Amino acid sequence: MDGPTAQSPLNLRRQRDPRVFGVDRQSLLKAFFGGNAIVAVIVLLLITFFLFREGLSFFPQYREDMELYRRSGMEYASLVKQEHDRFNELLGQLVDIRKRQIRQLESEGKTREEIAALTAPMQAYFYDFSDLAIPLRDYQIAVRDLAAETYKQARMDAEQHRIDTTHTADQHAHVIDYDGTITQIKATFPQLTALNNQLESDMLVVLRKFPPLEDPSLQPLVKAFRKDAIAFTAGLPHYGATLAEWEPERSVGLWEALKTFLFGEQWIVNNNGHSLFGLLPLLTGSLLVTGIAIVLALPFGVGAAIYTNQMARRGEAGFIKPCIEFITAIPSVVIGFFGIAVFGTLVRELSGTPWLDWLPGFPIAERLNAFTAGCLLALMAIPTIFTLSEDALSRVPRVYTESSLALGATRFQTTMRIIVPTAVSGIVSAVLLGIGRVIGETMVVLLCAGNRIRIPDFSEGLATPFQPVHTMTGIIAQEMGEVAQGGIHYRALFCVGVVLFLLTLLINFAAQKIFRHTRVGE
Amino acid sequence: MNPPSNSPEKNPFLPRPSATRRAEKLVRWGLRGLTYFILVCICAILLTIAVKGARAVFVPHWPFINVEFLTQAPETLHVFEVNGQTYELSDSQFRATYEEQGLKSPPDRTYAHAGGGIFPAIIGTLLLVAGAMLIAMLLGVASAIFLSEYGKRGPLLRLIRLSILNLAGVPSIVYGLFGFGLFVIFLDWNISLLAGWFTLAFMVLPVIISASEEALRSVPTGFREASLALGSTRWTMIRTSVLPYALPGILTSSILGIARVAGETAPIMFTAAYLLRDQLPWEGLDHWYDFFFQGVMALPYHLYVVSAKLPQNAYTERMQYGTAFVFLAIVAVMALTSIILRIKIRSRHNW
Repeated sequence: MDGPTAQSPLNLRRQRDPRVFGVDRQSLLKAFFGGNAIVAVIVLLLITFFLFREGLSFFPQYREDMELYRRSGMEYASLVKQEHDRFNELLGQLVDIRKRQIRQLESEGKTREEIAALTAPMQAYFYDFSDLAIPLRDYQIAVRDLAAETYKQARMDAEQHRIDTTHTADQHAHVIDYDGTITQIKATFPQLTALNNQLESDMLVVLRKFPPLEDPSLQPLVKAFRKDAIAFTAGLPHYGATLAEWEPERSVGLWEALKTFLFGEQWIVNNNGHSLFGLLPLLTGSLLVTGIAIVLALPFGVGAAIYTNQMARRGEAGFIKPCIEFITAIPSVVIGFFGIAVFGTLVRELSGTPWLDWLPGFPIAERLNAFTAGCLLALMAIPTIFTLSEDALSRVPRVYTESSLALGATRFQTTMRIIVPTAVSGIVSAVLLGIGRVIGETMVVLLCAGNRIRIPDFSEGLATPFQPVHTMTGIIAQEMGEVAQGGIHYRALFCVGVVLFLLTLLINFAAQKIFRHTRVGE
Repeated sequence: MNPPSNSPEKNPFLPRPSATRRAEKLVRWGLRGLTYFILVCICAILLTIAVKGARAVFVPHWPFINVEFLTQAPETLHVFEVNGQTYELSDSQFRATYEEQGLKSPPDRTYAHAGGGIFPAIIGTLLLVAGAMLIAMLLGVASAIFLSEYGKRGPLLRLIRLSILNLAGVPSIVYGLFGFGLFVIFLDWNISLLAGWFTLAFMVLPVIISASEEALRSVPTGFREASLALGSTRWTMIRTSVLPYALPGILTSSILGIARVAGETAPIMFTAAYLLRDQLPWEGLDHWYDFFFQGVMALPYHLYVVSAKLPQNAYTERMQYGTAFVFLAIVAVMALTSIILRIKIRSRHNW
């Protein structure tokens, strides 16, 4: 590109470009364009840096809080509370049985007094049963009160420590009396053992006195209650042993904080106390919604691609393609709004019709659930899957089709046995990219998934999709606006962002690998 | 091709009906059904929003467009009954009618954000889109020129391409987190137009770079060679022989980018959007630079707020469907323009 160096009678020498700082204009321009291109790399690095900076600093902070929680004895109190909660679940089952019984009697046209008389044994039994746990409840409250004060002090101390790091530890005004609290708590261990033994024998006695219920429709509930109650009673010594083994002195490692985050089953934000940040409910929620969406989008996306590419006439394909591509342009928040305003109600009303009773999970209790969100997300995944699959199908070399037809196969056989199998890697990568798009989608799940933070109950089988769930993207969008900057909650949300980021990178990477690995005909 | 037989039933070359053929036909109809089911679904969604939204945006008398809805700020809606009739009034009207005249106001139900109009949200969205696209276009087109005209195959180019590919797959909420961490908190811009612009620009950057690069690549190599053979420098070659022919393609892709920028909610939720702001962006500024450091209302966020925080009933429907309709119309017009432009350009330049 340099001008001609040979001298010639004609003045072919190019005019010199003006130089800036000894660099000619061409190089400057190149550097300018190159610099812009590098911005993409810088942005990726910045995203990674900021996510990880905020996300990873969550773990030390969480570890510290967990340690305070343990050392102050609050952990012990929460363990006792878990036992009490189990008992309360049993109570809830009893309440359920009673409610059913009353509803049954009401539908038979009994008066209020008759119902009261008929349900009296059940009522009495309920009171008997709930009285059993009074000592346990008192014990739990006593322990909690003991530990709460120490925990509060410890937290305030840690907060102060974080604010002025210049002070050394011994300059603090008060020293927190961890050992005193722990000693007090440990002194109550025999009390708990006695209490548990008492509860065990009481339970066995009370369970035998269960009032007879004639109604056959109640029998499954009663059976379930008895089973759970016996399991609870049998588990009591085990509970006692776990509680006795509790070690307040054991320090919490970073690894344990990481494990509690990744495999924690609860996400409970408590601004004044100990928060639990467990990813599992959000992750399972995200995966459930994504699963539903992909199961629905797969046949539609791939089927439409096969139809449009192989069977439709030219004009028909020219009409279908832009229509489906147009879905990408519909903003996700509009689709979410449609879900909340129309689709959710529609599905619930449809599920109430008697002739659809045989379907699992029908009628649906909640208007907004994983299924509602999944259906709408499927619609959003369809254009991705459709466009890329269609691309993959049209990239299959013509020779393949012609050879197959020449051997006497029908067009349909050629499509199904030659073209689709050849394009399958492209279709798989299309589906993976669809998954990536769905898992990162925020507004639809935020509006339509029901936002209940709980691991979906997979024991319900095919009815599982009809439970409300919360997702990783949803929790970030919902809670980010209201957190204190730099706090543990703020960092926890960034940590969820890191998981999401890594997950989508992994999916994209896999899609690219599969796509490149078995590319045909180029 | 047709056999000389007069009766097509006797045509020996026609396939005989068989079980395989019937199965094939069934599958074909099945696939056709799946395809058209998707189209029906889209139509259902669009029609629902269009029909119900049209009630909020259009009125049956002159000037046929609900001017109030398009030119006012959102207000609280008061619903009350007087003499057995139900009235709906936005907050300012309600106050004017009752409180300023010193009358006792009747018992009412209120719905926040459900009255008034959506003018600040429309303005906010337009501002966000304009700024973000300006930044994204400058960066994106320049990067694409480097990648397609200057870049030599090597580790740097591979790294850049890999970054772009991966950036394209990052969920928009992660961009939101990133923008929140970097612009809002680290650079201390607070919730502002500037933070929203950069967040959205970075989000749409991969789309613009890859589409612009494709447009540049579709210019035949012969054009470049001819220009260089005439002794032009590389930049002159790009300026005169490549960019003019790639420009329509670049613009098309950028319009698609606009649709994406306008449609995303998650990135602006905590970088640029306010729940409610009475003042328009150019009102109440102390300095000219305050313009960049103010939050704005935006249509997608407003739609999220009115659909998530308000109950679904006859009184809130107007605001919900109206916002959805206006928003969808803006985005759809952009997307359709880009699709039509693309078809036109493809048919014009056929090298």
